[in-house]
Amino acid sequence: MRDAKRGKKKIVPFDILAFFILLILGIIMIIPFVWMTVVSFERYANIQPPFPPSFKIRNPSLFNFKLAFENGYILRAYFNSFIVSASSVVVCLISSTLAGYAFSKGRFKGKKLLFYLILATLMIPLETRLIPMYMMFNKINMVNSFLPLILPYMIEGFQIMLSKQFFDHLPDSLREAAYIDGSGEFRTFFNIFLPLTGPITATMCILTFMASWNSFLWPLVMLTGAKSRTVPILMAYYSFTGEGGTRWAGLTMSVAFLGVIPVIVVFLFLQKYIIRSIALSGLKGE
Amino acid sequence: MIPKTRNSQAVWYLFLLPSLLGIILFMLYPVFESFRLSFFSSNGTIEKYVGLSNYKFILSLDVFWKAVFNTFYIAFFQLLITIPIGFVIACAINNIKWGKNLFKVLFYIPNVTSVVAAAMVFMFVLHPQGLLNNFFGIFGMSVAWLSKPNSARWAAIIFGSWQSIGFIIIIALANLQAIPVDYYEAATIDGSSKLQSFRHITIPLMKGTFSFFIVMGWINGLQRFTDVYILGGLQGSPARSLHTLVGFIFERGFGGYEFGIASAASYILLFLILFFTYLNVRTTEMKI
Repeated sequence: MRDAKRGKKKIVPFDILAFFILLILGIIMIIPFVWMTVVSFERYANIQPPFPPSFKIRNPSLFNFKLAFENGYILRAYFNSFIVSASSVVVCLISSTLAGYAFSKGRFKGKKLLFYLILATLMIPLETRLIPMYMMFNKINMVNSFLPLILPYMIEGFQIMLSKQFFDHLPDSLREAAYIDGSGEFRTFFNIFLPLTGPITATMCILTFMASWNSFLWPLVMLTGAKSRTVPILMAYYSFTGEGGTRWAGLTMSVAFLGVIPVIVVFLFLQKYIIRSIALSGLKGE
Repeated sequence: MIPKTRNSQAVWYLFLLPSLLGIILFMLYPVFESFRLSFFSSNGTIEKYVGLSNYKFILSLDVFWKAVFNTFYIAFFQLLITIPIGFVIACAINNIKWGKNLFKVLFYIPNVTSVVAAAMVFMFVLHPQGLLNNFFGIFGMSVAWLSKPNSARWAAIIFGSWQSIGFIIIIALANLQAIPVDYYEAATIDGSSKLQSFRHITIPLMKGTFSFFIVMGWINGLQRFTDVYILGGLQGSPARSLHTLVGFIFERGFGGYEFGIASAASYILLFLILFFTYLNVRTTEMKI
């Protein structure tokens, strides 16, 4: 008992040291965003390059944001991104829970083969499929529409595995009881199993929404028009305007601010769930 | 037991309908079509069979080998930096008494924001008079990050490490916390020091996590595109030093509409990913 107490006391200076080292490192991690905020509120950042970096706003103003909002691209991009991400979540949820349930509870021919096929999709990068997918959607005139960004979420191998594992933990007796009561497979799924999937659905929503919101290469290929840009595509567009070194620091930083800050705010509110979801995606045996 | 009839089997295919549709449209068809295209010269409308010449052409290009080199170089050093440092930080967070959540959030913020926005900010951070040089200035160093090939690659490594280390920390932390406390208590009772416990309990039990980092790190590293595209543009400037494999595919496919060549390059990428995943799974003895 006394030993344990002494042990605890001994650790204290080390604890404080560790805490402060972590704090410094943690602040280094977010300093770029702090600086971004400062520059984006600086009135003359577009004509006076923000160098050397300063963390004081000399002429605070919303001028850069006014510039950024002026042509209405940003609001449009938020709207587009939201539609695409929310629809992707819906598509992914429907497809993954149905498939996960079938792989967990179903008994049918070719189950193993199909499951391996789904696992194999995890290994095949988007880039290998990029060109045929582009040509396919191009042929049916779907460039600049959102369906090409949404529909591929029908097949998310990781999410299907996640939901299969979840259904594996739910007892078969639930299904048998429903069967005796005369319920068909679909009714059993929707009325009994689906309402139990709360925790896993939250994780799937978070992972899919984040993946879709931040995705870049596929939207970059599919979205060429000014009106259909999602947030990352719009930001890339801004980062390429202005020649080389003489970018408009104020405008660029305020656009980056508008891209980054809402995500960080949502993250701060949902951090417990988001971090848990991320951790789940990398836990051994998952 | 629920009887297994032909009818009761059929219903499961209905459950799988969306996934099957997805597999056919967005997986099987593109994978085979891409393979077919890699033997054709195509601009989207006119196609001509050319046999292996797309592959031969790519393998004879200096730019391609440069892209391969950059991809591997950046991926390798990023993993070399983030895995050990991320693991040490995760251990530190795991051991401190207060502020665990605060640190999880702080370190994870760069990873939750989109790579595009973060890379845009880094254009300024990496400016000759930007934040990073201000920091290095303390040690009397000043680097023109994005104007020389080698320092540009290191700029990408620094950016990638900053962006991805949060992921390593969160996952390492979750797996550290999954180790039962009993193990350490038992070891302490047997007279094991903290360092010994770390060496003989923590490290062996974290082996699976390290394999996961290496395998996933290579898969993601070989697919690097977004950050180098923002930092270096379509050509991966300066002097192609930020040109990666995916950048090569993108430039050929959507900059030049050389779909055959891009498809062949994408098959080389697929082969590299499968090969490296296999290699990494074998050498790290990862259990799948």
